[in-house]
Amino acid sequence: MNPYGPVAIYLCVALAAALLFTFLPGLLGRGKPNPQKQEAYECGVEPTSAVAGRFPVRFYLIAMLFVVFDVEAASLYPWAVQMHALRAFGLIEMVVFVIVIAIGYAYVWKKGGLEWR
Amino acid sequence: MTNVIANPYTSADWNVLYPLGIVALGALAVLFVDLVSKKHAPKWLTLALAGLSVIGAGVVCAQQYGQNYDAFGGGFLLGGFAVVMQELVLVAALGTLALYATLGDEERMAGTIALLLWSTCGAMLMAGAANLMTIFLGLELLSLALYCLCGLRENAIAREAALKYLILSSTASGFLLYGMALLFGSTGSVALAAIAQAPVAGNPMLWIGCALFLVGLAFKLSLVPFHAWSPDVYEGAPLPVTAFMSVATKVGALAVLARFVDAAVPSAGAEKLLLPLWIIAGISMVAGNLGMLAQHDLKRLLAFSGIAQVGYIVAALAGGGALGLRYALFYLIAYTFMNLGAFAVATAISTQAEEGSRLANYHGLAQRRPFLAAAMTFFMLALAGMPPTAGFVGKILILSANVGAGYAWLAGLLILGTAISLYAYAKIIRAMYVRDEHAHAREAHPVSPLAWASAAVCAAVLLVLTFYPLAPSNVIPLVR
Repeated sequence: MNPYGPVAIYLCVALAAALLFTFLPGLLGRGKPNPQKQEAYECGVEPTSAVAGRFPVRFYLIAMLFVVFDVEAASLYPWAVQMHALRAFGLIEMVVFVIVIAIGYAYVWKKGGLEWR
Repeated sequence: MTNVIANPYTSADWNVLYPLGIVALGALAVLFVDLVSKKHAPKWLTLALAGLSVIGAGVVCAQQYGQNYDAFGGGFLLGGFAVVMQELVLVAALGTLALYATLGDEERMAGTIALLLWSTCGAMLMAGAANLMTIFLGLELLSLALYCLCGLRENAIAREAALKYLILSSTASGFLLYGMALLFGSTGSVALAAIAQAPVAGNPMLWIGCALFLVGLAFKLSLVPFHAWSPDVYEGAPLPVTAFMSVATKVGALAVLARFVDAAVPSAGAEKLLLPLWIIAGISMVAGNLGMLAQHDLKRLLAFSGIAQVGYIVAALAGGGALGLRYALFYLIAYTFMNLGAFAVATAISTQAEEGSRLANYHGLAQRRPFLAAAMTFFMLALAGMPPTAGFVGKILILSANVGAGYAWLAGLLILGTAISLYAYAKIIRAMYVRDEHAHAREAHPVSPLAWASAAVCAAVLLVLTFYPLAPSNVIPLVR
């Protein structure tokens, strides 16, 4: 079998499953709509406001800043595991990396990126 | 006791990246100075730091000319080609800094300049990149910073440009990545040299991979079926960013393309594999120049002009001869200075309130600013390929390479495209020299010396290149 055969099978199964779940309810279900069924699902609690509401762009800013530090943490971890094996070279690399991130962090702080406006 | 993981790279590998490191360090220094100054760093200090790092990188890079070294396991190939391409990117960065000195506002200067320098790093990385991973790293570094730079202007059209650029460029990156994945899957290697020389016959995955890879690159180069984003983005982005984009992104993507073509040509199926590329280059030459005819904004006009110019450069690579590559490089050098010069003139006639990019701003320029009008005429003639400029020499060289390589139809399309473009470039020249009744009503504001000087330097370089067409000879081989 072609080594990529399993990938092709996997793709077909994924596609079939998605299509099945999309169209099967429409075919089998009996449509009896009522106002309660039309509401957005909020863990069983009655929704208090419009679900498709807009939310402030500052969430994106926070999310973006989070990604930066997330990436930092994600690269610190494997380094910490292999710290002894990587010797001084690894240490220097990581110090440089942290300094770069720290300058960026201080810059964001000074420019008011962490203020909740 | 743990095993020691040996560092696979020696200092020779790191030395290759010195110019890039200097620019990156310059960007950090700019941010740091802004950080420690009371409100924000003075404009001159930011620009001086950035300028120093760019010039320093240029000097260090020039010293590497003549060295050949495959750094990082073939990830970055140092050689004449990489050096020339990196220098071009640095020239673009320096020219852009001069434009920022005229147009930028002080409060946002540091962040903007830092982004510009990082973008420069990305293009420099692409200049030497010879495997799929470094190519993608350089491309994303270049593009990510540019998305932000495009939106750094307080109006809706700039935001539209940034969003358009982000979405379309990400789509192109998607094509490129998928193509890369297929290339790796079918050959088991990330090195361009190994991929391009894999047997093509009976390997559909390699075919599709190559096609997607080239489509992604064509998007970034804005060759014709994939060009629709570039006029809108150029129009919306701030003037210095447009200048940088029109040179640096094209230099970076062309470096990758040239390497790929150079590596592919010895293989058996190369002729068939690369034929679509020459066809879209031919279409770009004609369609780009046709699109130029309808434009009323210098930035849009130069976007369409850039589409055609890249078509000429890609066409020079047709056949994959060493001579074609040298001539492509010569034309790219000339193109860099033509474009930077034209944007320098546009900057010189801009005011803080309004960028001087609408065609109406050029009406009667010859009466108000005879030097600037003369310089602009020179750049337009160069872009059109008229005799006393490097554009003429460049086109003659490309024509000879095309005919020599057996692609006479490309040469024919080049001549056709040039003939069409003449009308569009002449439109600007005519606007500048036509007598303007309202000339006295227009306020003549002082022209920034830096923009003036960079226009003069670009014109001088173009003139010198006409008489000493230095097609760099030390650029072969690109791929080992």
